[in-house]
Amino acid sequence: MKSLMRIRSFFGNLLRRNRADGDLDAEVRAHLDLLTEEKLRAGLPPAEARRAARIELGGLEQVKEEVRSARAGAWLEAFVQDLRYGARQLRRNPGFTAVAVLTLALGIGANAAIFSVVHATLLQPLPSRNAGRLAVIWVTNLAHGWSRIGPTGLDYLDWKEQSSSFDDLFLFEHGTGTVTGQGEPEQVAGLRVTTNFGGFFGIHPLLGRTFRPEEGAARHNFIILGYGYWQRRFGSDPSVVGRGLTLNGDQYTIIGVLPPEFAVLFPSDVVVPFDTEWVKRADSDLGVFGMLRSGVTLDQATAEMSVVAQRVALTRPSRKGFGVVLVRLADVRVEYLRPALLVLLGAVGFVLLISCANVANLILARSVVRHREVGIRMALGAGRARLIRQFLAESTLLSLLGGAAGSLLALWSTGLLAIFVPSRIPVPNAADQVLLPGIHMSGGAFAFTLVVSLVAGIALGLIPSLQSLRCNMNEALKEGGRGFLAAGPRAHRTRSTLVIVESALAFVLVIGAGLMIKSFWRLLEANPGFRPDHLLTLRIKLPTDATDSPYREPRQRAAAFQRFLAGVEALPGIQSAAFAEIVPLSQDDMDMGYFVVQENPPLPPGEHLAADYRDITPRYFSTMGIPLAKGRAFAEQDGLDRPRVVIIDETLARRFFPDQDPIGKHLQVPDATQPAREIVGVVGGVRDTGFDQQPRPTIYFPSQQSPDQTMSLVVRTTLPPGVALPAIKNAIWSVDKNQPVFQVRSMDDIISGIVSAQRLAFLLLGVFAFLALALAAIGIYGVTSYLVSERTHEIGVRMALGAQPRDVSRLVLGHGATLAGMGVIGGLVAALALTRLLSGLLFGVSSTDASVFFGVAALLFFVALAACYFPARRATRVDPIMALRNE
Amino acid sequence: MGDKQTELLQGTLDMLILKVLGLGPLHGLGISRRIEQVTRRTFQVKPGSLFPALHRMEEEGWLSSHWGESENNRRAKYYQLTKTGRRQLESETERWGRISVAIARALEAS
Repeated sequence: MKSLMRIRSFFGNLLRRNRADGDLDAEVRAHLDLLTEEKLRAGLPPAEARRAARIELGGLEQVKEEVRSARAGAWLEAFVQDLRYGARQLRRNPGFTAVAVLTLALGIGANAAIFSVVHATLLQPLPSRNAGRLAVIWVTNLAHGWSRIGPTGLDYLDWKEQSSSFDDLFLFEHGTGTVTGQGEPEQVAGLRVTTNFGGFFGIHPLLGRTFRPEEGAARHNFIILGYGYWQRRFGSDPSVVGRGLTLNGDQYTIIGVLPPEFAVLFPSDVVVPFDTEWVKRADSDLGVFGMLRSGVTLDQATAEMSVVAQRVALTRPSRKGFGVVLVRLADVRVEYLRPALLVLLGAVGFVLLISCANVANLILARSVVRHREVGIRMALGAGRARLIRQFLAESTLLSLLGGAAGSLLALWSTGLLAIFVPSRIPVPNAADQVLLPGIHMSGGAFAFTLVVSLVAGIALGLIPSLQSLRCNMNEALKEGGRGFLAAGPRAHRTRSTLVIVESALAFVLVIGAGLMIKSFWRLLEANPGFRPDHLLTLRIKLPTDATDSPYREPRQRAAAFQRFLAGVEALPGIQSAAFAEIVPLSQDDMDMGYFVVQENPPLPPGEHLAADYRDITPRYFSTMGIPLAKGRAFAEQDGLDRPRVVIIDETLARRFFPDQDPIGKHLQVPDATQPAREIVGVVGGVRDTGFDQQPRPTIYFPSQQSPDQTMSLVVRTTLPPGVALPAIKNAIWSVDKNQPVFQVRSMDDIISGIVSAQRLAFLLLGVFAFLALALAAIGIYGVTSYLVSERTHEIGVRMALGAQPRDVSRLVLGHGATLAGMGVIGGLVAALALTRLLSGLLFGVSSTDASVFFGVAALLFFVALAACYFPARRATRVDPIMALRNE
Repeated sequence: MGDKQTELLQGTLDMLILKVLGLGPLHGLGISRRIEQVTRRTFQVKPGSLFPALHRMEEEGWLSSHWGESENNRRAKYYQLTKTGRRQLESETERWGRISVAIARALEAS
């Protein structure tokens, strides 16, 4: 009750401060009047009466102040006073304020920007119920170099029946489909799912419903729309449920629309259910998610699934030697970007520390000047707590200003960052990628910025507090105008230490940036096994599923791709063109298989040789610039009615034909209906999955002999992509106007996608390292020029005694070099320990690369000496007469 | 200035104010003079202690205030006891009784 009243008064006082003050003033004045009247009545003359009344009252303002400090919330008022005083101080020193706020803004802004990226990527919750319990289940076979491949339909059914670690398992497959019937044909991103889709993720559809368990039969033909597709294609029509949609020539009924946030998980346009019968036969790369049973850890589930996998191999020998890999879905999605982001988060932490060190140095330099002020305030009875509070208010004000400016900086730079943070990131070793949401300053990022600013403010306020409290009040007052001498060696040591620490931090950052630059350079110089310049690609999927499709026969498909190719090759400015099942580096699906070398002794049962399979058209190697090492390339003659031939790459040749000539040998692929295929050529290895991966054994097949449904066109042209791509699309449409094309992009785009994490780290680390170096230089400059002004007298004496300007500048430069040297030593130790964290991002560079370490040390020394140049020049221009007269 | 001053015990001033206001509303000077009167000038309450106490007690909800006319037609702020204030006075009086008895006994005992 009592405290409640006080709390009410507290807020009341805050709100009605002015009115309450006016009332108090009136009350005290009325009291004075009453007192005066009392004295008059006692017989004093008016002047005497007024004087006596005033004496008895004891000072109007003092009484009011007493009342104010007795009121609830008095401390807050004092705090506001401190802030006002602090603001006045900052306004009175605009130069100091501007430099400090700008420095803090850089440090805090960098943190806010990187935190926004981290928040939008690493901390983004998945739109699913129990998202933390979702795990991806892959099949693995390390003996064949397959670390993560998608399971088959039978794997899914076996797992679902035999495992007990999961509440439920969910099977899906990404694909593309052609929507016709409404305007021009459109290639859409499709998702095929088991009918537990809705319940598994706990989806609340925006419109309609999800699938029912019994709807996994082809005759239902129900379809769910993704939010984006519903908006784009149907103009967000709320009455879309129940309408029809023609997909791949089949008629579907729309039963629902997914909520917008679900696109984070599956950015698909349409969702259709698996045909239950088809699942049993599906042997391609499928996706399986498991919802871990509550309380079951990932390790427990992995252990159980390994046992299940061994049991499955007993009934299905084709699965012998295969294991399973489980990874949490939330982790899978950010595996690729996380190392880069954590490094950047560390880097901006360093930048913030450096900028705080710089501002602390400024505050210290100023606190020396303010020594006298502090002394006077202490003499007038200001308690230490009150002084500390004053310092804290000032520094917090400073850091909040810095935080506000930093937020603006971050707002502006997140727009810039969004260009460098890829929107699609690959899932390592899984031929998959995930969509990232856009980067922007969220409420979370603003809260983070506020916390960082407050912490920085408090830290900055404590440094001068500790420094000042050590000072002796009497000394401060005695020293008077020459306050700076009162700082003594201790303050000077603190400032030098700060500069050494920030040099060390800057050294570590610049080392990191140097390593990343060298690594990125190596990455771009790395030979992927083909010439990536001037290559354009797009993908074509023939609509073979529809009943009236003209592409049902393999011969028809081969002929169709021939016609497209002829149309494209006839274009002016096109050097050559070819089709391939999979474009290197594109993170498309994988195609892998077993083979047997016919001429070799048979392998023990259960052992296989495995390789990547690639179907290509004749001029693929010349278009891609893949060198032919031996034999011949495919020709137009290698058709369906000709002997079956293959070409292998050097990796396969080295591994499986170590001392023999592979040309003329025969490979038998698992499809036993086919005769063995003769090896007619050997080509160079290609880094298919990434620059940092070794080429894998690969077998090329002439696509005329095994025509696919989906192929990628690769075109070598000197024309710019903006000119060539529309012409290529038109050439395809002039062959078949209903043929959609998709994934239209240049090889440069593909490459910039797969090096996006490294590029992000390289660019931003570069920026932060530059910032750090600049701030460290400012710090060294500040301390050195302070030293020069402090030692003007000494320098004057030295020069009067015959010291040359050279000696004087050596003195100053020596001081800067000492600071930098100690910084380099400290930074070296830290860098050796910390750059190991970078090693995951480095390509072809050791994390302790000697040339980078030496180069950066030299750079830091150079920058330190450059920062000392102006103070040194000022020192050499000291006029001995003036300096001595100043005494 | 030359008046002999007796230090007020912490909380005693509150009790005295409550006590003198128990008889009816008074303005600041009135309270001050009444306390002098009832304590036979043992306690002289200076404005510097009186007003902070009055404002604090008003925030506690023991007192309420209103502007009124003094006996000589001057504007003055009057304070009066609230219900809570009256209860507070009772408990303070009771507490004080116990304390003074206890202290008197302790002093007699030695």
